[in-house]
Amino acid sequence: MRYTKKKQLLSGLALLTAGLMTASAVFAQEATIAFATSELGVTSYNPVTATLLNTANSLIYDRLVVQDADQSYKPHLATSWEETPDGMAWTFNLREGVMFQDGTPFNAQSIADWIPDYRGTENEYLIDAIESVEVIDDLTVKFVMKRAEPNLLYNLASSFMGVPSAAAFDRLGENYGVSEAVGTGPFKLEEFSIGLETVLVRNDDYAWASELSENQGAAYLEKITFREIPDQSTAFLELKTGGVDVLLGVPTDFLEILEQESNVTIVEMPGLGIQYMPINVTAAPFDDILVREATVLAVDQESILNSIYKGVGAVAKNFLISSLPAANVDPALNVSYDLARANELLDQAGWAMGDDGIRMKDGEALSVKLFTQNTTGFRRLSQVVQAQLKDIGMDAVITVFDGSTIRDEYKRNAHQLAVRGYSWNNSDILDWFFSGERLGYPNVSMWKDEIGQELNDVAMTQSATSEQRIANFTAYHEYVLSQFLFAPIYQPTINIAYNSDAVTMPEVIRGVRFRAQTALDMQVVE
Amino acid sequence: MLLKYTFHRFLMLIPVSISISFVIFMIVYLLPGDPIDNLIRVGSSPEARERLTAKYGLDKPLLTQYFVWMGNMLRGDFGDAIVLRRPVADLIKQNLPYSLTLGGLAFAFSSVVGIILGTISAIVKNPIMERFFRGFILLGSTVPGFWLALLMILLFSVTLGWFPVSGAGSWQALVLPVLTIGFGGIALVARVTRVALLDVWRADFVKLLYAKGLSGRAILFKHLLPHAMLPVVTILALRIGWILGGAITVEFVFGRPGLGSLLIRALSQRDYPVVQGSLLMLALAVMLGTLIGDIAQAAMDPRVREEKS
Repeated sequence: MRYTKKKQLLSGLALLTAGLMTASAVFAQEATIAFATSELGVTSYNPVTATLLNTANSLIYDRLVVQDADQSYKPHLATSWEETPDGMAWTFNLREGVMFQDGTPFNAQSIADWIPDYRGTENEYLIDAIESVEVIDDLTVKFVMKRAEPNLLYNLASSFMGVPSAAAFDRLGENYGVSEAVGTGPFKLEEFSIGLETVLVRNDDYAWASELSENQGAAYLEKITFREIPDQSTAFLELKTGGVDVLLGVPTDFLEILEQESNVTIVEMPGLGIQYMPINVTAAPFDDILVREATVLAVDQESILNSIYKGVGAVAKNFLISSLPAANVDPALNVSYDLARANELLDQAGWAMGDDGIRMKDGEALSVKLFTQNTTGFRRLSQVVQAQLKDIGMDAVITVFDGSTIRDEYKRNAHQLAVRGYSWNNSDILDWFFSGERLGYPNVSMWKDEIGQELNDVAMTQSATSEQRIANFTAYHEYVLSQFLFAPIYQPTINIAYNSDAVTMPEVIRGVRFRAQTALDMQVVE
Repeated sequence: MLLKYTFHRFLMLIPVSISISFVIFMIVYLLPGDPIDNLIRVGSSPEARERLTAKYGLDKPLLTQYFVWMGNMLRGDFGDAIVLRRPVADLIKQNLPYSLTLGGLAFAFSSVVGIILGTISAIVKNPIMERFFRGFILLGSTVPGFWLALLMILLFSVTLGWFPVSGAGSWQALVLPVLTIGFGGIALVARVTRVALLDVWRADFVKLLYAKGLSGRAILFKHLLPHAMLPVVTILALRIGWILGGAITVEFVFGRPGLGSLLIRALSQRDYPVVQGSLLMLALAVMLGTLIGDIAQAAMDPRVREEKS
């Protein structure tokens, strides 16, 4: 009898424990996210000094403004702002009731303490145009400018401008961002193992989400573990076996495999850059603008989009992503495949078609060097471009380099054509790749042109308002296009895959990337 | 005698280390590429680039840079990572335990299983077993680590669900990487053990032992194995270097931090101080491994220390 009672008691306890465990399993709002390969290797969550940051950083820190997918700016820690007509001062009204995760209040003084921290760091250029910061009242702050900077909002929306707690920043010095990181964001840094994982826990006091998320309160998820998985195949297997719930930054060529998994949902967001083929204008035969135009017209963007990328993403018609206002150039300057015209231009340039399908001029064959990087994506794209160039009688010989070596090759001026890409959602990318001051790398086209440089300088430094900036960059962009310095190819998407049996995510992800606004809306499937 | 030998071998390490440090430094600088390219971002000016180059001393003559680096090294200062922006010593300290755990376990696993397997294969005179053994050695020494790693994941994680696919947060996550790295080691150690055992078996003194009426087991454990261990110890000592650096691709596939992963990341970004620091650590590990092997051999075989001291 006693034995039975004991047994019953034990069974009861076991049932209770099992019940509790099940309950906690159901309500455990925890998710595991694998970083995109481009954001691996972060060594600190200090946005002021870091040169590489990841998604977790954007969950710890809020910024004054956030950027939506259409590249417009929305209020966040700043509820509104005003710019003087000459662009020499900006006034920001700050959100009330915001607290840092260490309990200190967020106010105008936080901004005045924070901006000077960038001086002397590699990120100084973000605040370079700001002369001083004036505290008008507790929730109003004024930036007095050295020069007009219509790009200021873009800088303020950057991950590198997450606002840290001045108290924690000063207290921890060099260790800030490694042992502790304190922002006002919806998640707090719990644990950071460099190269392995970052564990974030919910900031229960959070009540100041931007309009980009539906959930305006604290996050549903209590804990997010971000993992660093360098190998794409391993990351995919982790998603398949439930080791991770979300993969950020899935390469487009992986989508087909992922789509076959019944529990995997893919969200495609507009990308932040293009893939293109710069043409070295100093290397014969590309010193002849006719040959450059022919080369540009020989690249069939539509067929590349459909054959390599199965229609995911969009073709690139010029140098900027479509959502940027300066991408709206004169339609006649947008690039479209035209094989007949390309062949005509080469005939005109004196390159006659040879019997072997390769053009000749003065006894020399139209054989050129095509450089690319050693990733599967770039190699495949280069091979297709190589085949397309063959159609105009151009023999492109592909050489593959690693990411660092290829830059040296550009600097040595050893290249003629290259297949590459960039990721940057701002028109100033035109200055980066076409300014005559950066020949070789990043100016792979090796283009130094008086009119071009003037248009560049006007766009970069002489625009007072954002309208002027857009107009100036559009003019510069149009001139760049008229010189046939590159062939635009493809606008990739940013792909996120998640296990729909484990978590839910909004159908449309707002903002330019997966960031706090989406993490706030994520929930565990119960 | 052994002490003198050890001291002599230890002294030899000094010139070797200096030469190796020079070679490492030069190789890293001769690689095409520039760490500053990985540091600057869209928007920073050409002047900012020059400032950075000067800040990290990359504008100084190569030999000056070497002596500065060497001087700092002698003071135990590995310098600061240019791109990763942390002290190199910190980065190595963070990654070393992962490498030591994985490498150490794989080393122990492959040594024990390898010696046992090698011994069994030498004793058992069975044509089927022999063929199986040869096949195993061939596979073990030719199958690439990253491929075997993926196969292991597919079988043990995806199909059977026994172990996690990747990570380094639990002991379960160690099993597959240890098996993957250990597999190649087992084949090597087993082969050397087998050949050495069969070699010793043919020696005259073994016939004498049999003639004296000793049991097969006693001959194997007391006489054959100790003699056969000499080449095995040499092979094992050479593999000590592998403990730190031999797991690069396996670390990559299983998403584990470690010295190999650190080195690969730093190399792709041309983060010179990190590459130099990690390479020097690996070189030191190989040198120490060789030293330990030599000393162990000398301790086991007096002829060695007499010849070389």
